[in-house]
Amino acid sequence: MDIALAYMGAGIGFGLTVIGAGIGIGRLAAAIAEGVARQPSASGQITGAAYLPLFLLEGVAILAEVFGLLIVLLK
Amino acid sequence: MLHLQPPAEAEQAAEAAKEGFNAGELIIEHVSNTSVDDPLIHLPRVFGIDMSVTKHVFMEWVVAAILFFGITWLVRRYLAQERLIPGRAASLLEIALEFVRDSIVAPNLGNKWVRAWTPMLLTLFLFIFTCNLMGVIPLFDVLELLNSTVIHAGPDSWFTHLLHGGVTATGNYNVTAALATIAFFAIIVAGTQAHGFVKHWKNLVPGGLPWPIYIMLIPIEILGMFVRPFALTMRLAANMAGGHIAILALLSLIFVFTSLFERTIAGIGIGMVLSLPIGVGLTALELIVILVQAYVFTLLTAVFIGMAIHAHH
Repeated sequence: MDIALAYMGAGIGFGLTVIGAGIGIGRLAAAIAEGVARQPSASGQITGAAYLPLFLLEGVAILAEVFGLLIVLLK
Repeated sequence: MLHLQPPAEAEQAAEAAKEGFNAGELIIEHVSNTSVDDPLIHLPRVFGIDMSVTKHVFMEWVVAAILFFGITWLVRRYLAQERLIPGRAASLLEIALEFVRDSIVAPNLGNKWVRAWTPMLLTLFLFIFTCNLMGVIPLFDVLELLNSTVIHAGPDSWFTHLLHGGVTATGNYNVTAALATIAFFAIIVAGTQAHGFVKHWKNLVPGGLPWPIYIMLIPIEILGMFVRPFALTMRLAANMAGGHIAILALLSLIFVFTSLFERTIAGIGIGMVLSLPIGVGLTALELIVILVQAYVFTLLTAVFIGMAIHAHH
């Protein structure tokens, strides 16, 4: 029962992580597209500035997935 | 298109299928390191640490040797020319160098510190990139083919152990933790060089705030100092291991379906329709991830070093 609950928690956690990361990356991509559409000449600067938050966001999502995996592996 | 599949994964899956299929065990065995009881080369313990060479350590050595001899040879050959015109390989190296220097180091560290920190960050970039790349290039599977046709090495011979190579060393979080430790100390050294030892530690927290805030702020900043290399560690290891797990899981579907319906045609069908096309796509995606993760690790290290150097509080 406990193990089943741990698996369930990890599964739900994975799903929530993906939802959060998806929303974040989606909003970032939308903002980049809008910025480039308004100011095409600055596209290089805009995408360059967007990389860092993108990777930090990805890092948080991966941390969450690693902890979810730890829940499963350590039970 | 189908022969683009990494043969290591396909062959391991085929072997496992003969003796009852367990997808989880197969995937974990491919991604994890060799066990400590059965390493490639037995070495004695030094200060209580087992120095035996496992497959990930072996791949790190291979990558280090490739980079050291390859780059030394390229640069020597370039400098020995009468007219300094880079050849094809030297141009590739120049592209990598200029990319790291101009788009990673210079914007984050400022022009004053470029010459000081480009060598370290370029080394990190090239090492991580080559480590990642070795996981996709099936070099050691050529040896495996030789083994099954010509050599027939016994199960205990050194050559058989060697066949476990060709894995992604950066998929092991111990390897990436070592790389992040370098980044951790680089941040401290950079801050100390720029501001002096005491000023660097003072720079961690903004000055001029009322004292109750410091009770909260100082622990947070100390925690942040350790969280940043930890995030670097986990990002790289999880990305590299995750890509391999995804490809293997898709390929495992072939054998899962075969044993589930007890018909070979079910496995072939799911392989043709689902596993191979998506597997090829994932492998292509993996090639992008390889470059992006090497870039991200270097970029974030440069950003953190830049934060230590340009601490304006």
